[in-house]
Amino acid sequence: MMHTPLIRRRTAVAAALLAGTGLVSPLTFAQAGKSALNLAMIGEPPTLDIMSTPADLVCIIMQHVYEPLFTFDAKASLVPLLAESLPKVSADGKQYSITLRKGVMLHNGRELNADDVVASLHRWMEVSPRGKSVSKEVATLVTKGTQGIEITLKSPYAPLLSQLAMASGMAAIMAKESLAQPLKEFVGTGPYKFKERRPDQYVLLSKFDDYSARKEAASGYGGKRTAVVEELRFIPVPNANTRVEGALAGQFHYADLLPIEALGRIEKAPGKVVPIMTPSFGFPYMVFNTKEGVMTSQPTRKAVQTAIGEGEMLAAGFGDTRFFVAEGNHFPKGTPFFSAAGTTSYNERDAAKAKVQAAAAGYKGDTIRILTSRQYDFHYNMALILAEQLKRGGFKAELNVVDWATLVQRRSDAKLWDIYITHSGQFPEPMLSPPQLGDGAPGWWSSPAKQEALSALNQESNPAKRGALWGKVQQVIYDEVPYINVGKFASLSARSPALEGYTPNTYPFFWNTSVKN
Amino acid sequence: MTRYPMTRYLLSRLMGMLVVMSLVAVLVFILTRAASGDPIAVLLGDQATAEDISRVQKLYGLDKPLPVQFGIWVNQLLHGNLGDSIFLQRPVTQALWERAEPTTLLALMAVAIAAGIGVPCGVVSAVFRGRMLDQLFTGLAMLGASVPSFWFGLVLMQLFAVGLAWFPVSGYGDPGATLLERMYFLVLPATVLGVLNSALIIRFTRASMLDVLGEDYVRTARAKGLSESVVVLKHALRNALVPIVTVLGLTVALMIGGAVVTETVFGLPGVGNLVVSAVLRRDYPVIQGALLVVAAIYVVINFLTDLLYTVVDPRVKY
Repeated sequence: MMHTPLIRRRTAVAAALLAGTGLVSPLTFAQAGKSALNLAMIGEPPTLDIMSTPADLVCIIMQHVYEPLFTFDAKASLVPLLAESLPKVSADGKQYSITLRKGVMLHNGRELNADDVVASLHRWMEVSPRGKSVSKEVATLVTKGTQGIEITLKSPYAPLLSQLAMASGMAAIMAKESLAQPLKEFVGTGPYKFKERRPDQYVLLSKFDDYSARKEAASGYGGKRTAVVEELRFIPVPNANTRVEGALAGQFHYADLLPIEALGRIEKAPGKVVPIMTPSFGFPYMVFNTKEGVMTSQPTRKAVQTAIGEGEMLAAGFGDTRFFVAEGNHFPKGTPFFSAAGTTSYNERDAAKAKVQAAAAGYKGDTIRILTSRQYDFHYNMALILAEQLKRGGFKAELNVVDWATLVQRRSDAKLWDIYITHSGQFPEPMLSPPQLGDGAPGWWSSPAKQEALSALNQESNPAKRGALWGKVQQVIYDEVPYINVGKFASLSARSPALEGYTPNTYPFFWNTSVKN
Repeated sequence: MTRYPMTRYLLSRLMGMLVVMSLVAVLVFILTRAASGDPIAVLLGDQATAEDISRVQKLYGLDKPLPVQFGIWVNQLLHGNLGDSIFLQRPVTQALWERAEPTTLLALMAVAIAAGIGVPCGVVSAVFRGRMLDQLFTGLAMLGASVPSFWFGLVLMQLFAVGLAWFPVSGYGDPGATLLERMYFLVLPATVLGVLNSALIIRFTRASMLDVLGEDYVRTARAKGLSESVVVLKHALRNALVPIVTVLGLTVALMIGGAVVTETVFGLPGVGNLVVSAVLRRDYPVIQGALLVVAAIYVVINFLTDLLYTVVDPRVKY
């Protein structure tokens, strides 16, 4: 078990003082003998229903409890998880036949079967925003015996398996009898089972002894999962500085998402804490209101694109050059969806050219309202630079800084904003994010060119051809400017040297990890 | 004179408390709903469409007109029910009850520390008025009143949790920890609150003692040849206690609802933390319920403090 600060020799003085009054309380004495991980998270999860929200925090915790049919390995390739193998797809690309692994146990002691899968996927298509978009593609979803599932699509839809494999807003397979709205019980198949939630204190997961692991070697989220540590304690620590101090003090085995400025202190304490940098963790993006207001004009959006310098915005947002990459390709080099299409329009920062374009577009000096929040410092810092860049380009810009709850409400109202700033994780499949690639998301981007490019991408099941087709979508995004992908950023987290076997991932997981005694 | 003045006093105070609480309920509801933001949009996240949001709003009754929502809430209140949290999947009363312990313990420990520092320093300051000790304590009180609690918290954390590793950085004990073990996690946050709040106690004690030390009965006590310590501690301090008790009572009440920053910095699952996260997420039932309960505690502590005057100073009668 980890030696927390209170059981170090140096604490003997304080402990002895308290012992005199019976106040002996090392952090872990209460659970002596049981291995546990103290994991400092950024806050309290809004829910534990992993289907109903794409919130990263919910996913990080509940991916230990629930599993999807498929997942992504270390190379971001699709691999089976609860499914026996990748599905058989009919020649017309419309029918997916999936066979479940045999002997997979649910946390309530019953064996998983196809009824659970079909019921769970139906719920996912009802409550999950991503599931809903998938449901529009699905004609039928039925069981074929106790282990078989058949999905028939209305037309070929290549992102189906990625949608089923995505960890956040997961198409989680749950025990049929536990399905409810809202969920009252959390019965899945994962290596850990839900034990207790005390809001603002912890979410406890305990090792599931009857877990049925895959045989393949572990790779990314795929392969063999083993619950080595007996208990996972996800502790909400909303104050980022407190997470840093807790990591430095050795109170946490893992501290999620630390401020970049903390890297120096972490690097200076090599025996106490190990920094974890996850490159291409996500991308900030600014969404344009294409439904109402000054940004409905595509030539004006193009002028804005010319005026801004994404590199400068990233520098303001992240400071340290190790934490951002200013590049216009939406997917990193070396990945199947890498494309340079349209990137000549990236990071132009050409005020003179922007003024000419704006004048040609008929821009009359209307105020551009930038909606942003200080929930994430980098959003706000980037918005400050954006406003200045727009002013330099001859635009009249106004910052509307609100709290996050207000932002998510106001962005749904097309009358209230022209640009808003947000960010997304960097996922292996284009259709997983941002939501503006789908229908109805704030920004309300809809155009024949979008429809055509996305339709071609979604109907092509050959991965090699899909890469090139994404390039065409990226070109349309640069041409129509419904949103601007500002660049890529890395994240900083930290772990204790005692935590072994941890591999950095977008959604950190703690199966296959152990604690050095 | 009335035959039962104390009973009359108690009844009139209780009626007053009811009126105050009714006004608080109305204000809390209006202010909570006047703020922009939508809990369901926060709950469902980035990919939710307007249809998703309105479907879930309906589930929680947030689609109904505000007067109807207010009526439902008041009806729940009259049945002793504060409603259910949108995010915590539990009744607000349960959520508050779970947080009552750390917050109450924190407030009591902090007030004990504040009184332990503030009263002696205030007494010494008054006795040695204008001298170096007085200036030292008055200066410290000024400093204490000026230091932000989050900064002081982080300093103590770095010194005693990270540097010396005597105390934990944050949290409220492991699952299954005993009460004493959980109290161990409160030492640093209580110290922050206690030290900072002692500034106020020092100033009040000093002022109150200075008033009393100039009274005739103190001069008489000295003339009787009583030792200075007996004069100060028995005759002067006891008579100076009424305003000090008032301040201590108010400090407890303030800490129960107002230790927000300290609870957030130290990751304590207290009422302050609950209110902050509820406000950020617009968890209406929790905001309304917590504010109402905190207001009730404040009113009750005020009432008890008034009653305590009769114990501290027998001259006070109602």
